[in-house]
Amino acid sequence: MDESKQPVLQMTGISKSFGGLRALIDVSMDLFPNEILAIAGENGAGKSTLIKVLTGIYRADKGEIRVHGKKLNISTRRDSINAGIAAVYQNLGLVDTLTAPANVFLGLEPVKRILGIPFIDNSTMRSRAVAVLRDRVGIELPDIDAPTRNFSGGQRQAVAIARAVIGADLKVLVMDEPLAALGPEETRNTFNLIRAVRQRGTAIILISHNLDHVFQLADRVLVMRGGKHAGVAEVARSSKRDVLGMIVGSDVDVDAMA
Amino acid sequence: MTITQTAPLVADRDVERKVRLPWYKRYINLIGPLVMIIALSVTMAIAQPRFFELANLMIILQDAAIFMVLGMAMTIVITGKGIDLSIGAVAALSAVIMALLIKDFGLGLYSAMAAAVAVGFVCGVTNGLVITQLRVPDLLATLAMDQVYRGIALVLAAGTVLARFPEPLPFLGRGRIMDVFPTAAVVGMIALGIGYVILNYTWLGRYAIAIGGNREAAVLTGININRQKIFHYALMGVCAALAGILLTGRLNAIQATTAQGFALHTIAAVVVGGTLLFGGRGTMFGTLVGVLLLSMVTNALVMLRFQFFWQLIASGVIIIASIGFYSYLQQDGSGDSRSDE
Repeated sequence: MDESKQPVLQMTGISKSFGGLRALIDVSMDLFPNEILAIAGENGAGKSTLIKVLTGIYRADKGEIRVHGKKLNISTRRDSINAGIAAVYQNLGLVDTLTAPANVFLGLEPVKRILGIPFIDNSTMRSRAVAVLRDRVGIELPDIDAPTRNFSGGQRQAVAIARAVIGADLKVLVMDEPLAALGPEETRNTFNLIRAVRQRGTAIILISHNLDHVFQLADRVLVMRGGKHAGVAEVARSSKRDVLGMIVGSDVDVDAMA
Repeated sequence: MTITQTAPLVADRDVERKVRLPWYKRYINLIGPLVMIIALSVTMAIAQPRFFELANLMIILQDAAIFMVLGMAMTIVITGKGIDLSIGAVAALSAVIMALLIKDFGLGLYSAMAAAVAVGFVCGVTNGLVITQLRVPDLLATLAMDQVYRGIALVLAAGTVLARFPEPLPFLGRGRIMDVFPTAAVVGMIALGIGYVILNYTWLGRYAIAIGGNREAAVLTGININRQKIFHYALMGVCAALAGILLTGRLNAIQATTAQGFALHTIAAVVVGGTLLFGGRGTMFGTLVGVLLLSMVTNALVMLRFQFFWQLIASGVIIIASIGFYSYLQQDGSGDSRSDE
């Protein structure tokens, strides 16, 4: 990774408490163009809280977020979307009673105005969703007009990813455990999906428990422990053992655990 | 320890799932009410053929009209995981205020009707604010507000019956176009048509489905849930006021105690039609079928000379049977509820 490049995203000194619980303590991170940055750590290490701050679900108590050097004030989900930060959540966040196109465009529906009243343009939405799914996500759904509850896990994930990449000005894609509940083939497909999104120039933040996946996909790993930044490892120059050591803490004997 | 270096891959059971729906599953929600309508028709053909006379069919439509208007908005409310038990009181309150403005204040009919709609709107927005800002659950909030609105209507009307209104109010409520087709049913069908457009072609309807289907997903998409819910209840309030206007025209009279039981009847019609009681899927055509079915049942019981009380029993049984039927379909896998948290 070319460190001289200007980061796409900088989070600096982020802190967040819930009552007495300090979920994030002075966490900083940089994300560079075309990079896949994994965030690893145990449950409760603060990974999810960090991305919820980034995506506008929580508001940080302290710290700042910059995209391309410009300071952002993210206090709602919409602020984050407008800043070009998209997210695929662990449970995918699909409305399973809606069709694939309706899910892909949820919240961003194209409209046709008739007498000034905005009507959702379902046919435009459908053809654009088909194109996005085919060209950017690489999947053709057999029955795009069926509700997504009838789709397989991989197909539903493709819809969730299509929704994330639909924004015209996508800069950062956040993926929370995208591989958690997939079979081997769907895992491979999702790997390809993630790499394809990166190739189109989007930086990716990948949250994962699975170090195998992290080492196959990511360029760098940010390790979090107890709400703090515990270190960054470059995948090409580190071993899983080093990273595992950072995850569990230096005072623990990694060999005994592995 | 939560770190898994070589996580066992969860077998994806979904892979084998057939994606293309068999044709009948797309219409499965209409099968229940259609079967009931056919069963009822066969019964009536044997027991009382006069049921099918044009005059009687028009009476059924006339009875159904008010519930078409109410059912339209209720379909949106329920699709958005809400419920409104206050609509009978809102209808009564709006109608009483309209009647008082005409009778006691000499206001013109159209101004008074506009005032009634405004009252319904304010009641609906109030319901929405109580639910979203005071965080009272929809069911309890509207149950309590039902008492409030009914109380205000009783205070204002002071026990009187207000009667005899200028045209075209009676024509709207009980008139017949070309002496055949009930005017009110035209109003009801226009309302359902507008509802169809709202549900399928506007943000309001799309977000109602999203909120009802997966509230968390709706939040993550940036949809302002509270604002949408206030819109739903405002629409419901306006439709309740329209129902109050139609009811006043039909009776050519109004009193504060009228329109009791409207909420349950409307909810029953909506749910019988296939709108999911717990949100996420709604159908205006289904609501039309549900409204017509309930009116047919009521009418049939009258023709067969059952006492009024039997109508209550019948509508209760139909509600339970319908909800039970849809719950069974959900378990059956034709509509698994993965999005339900």
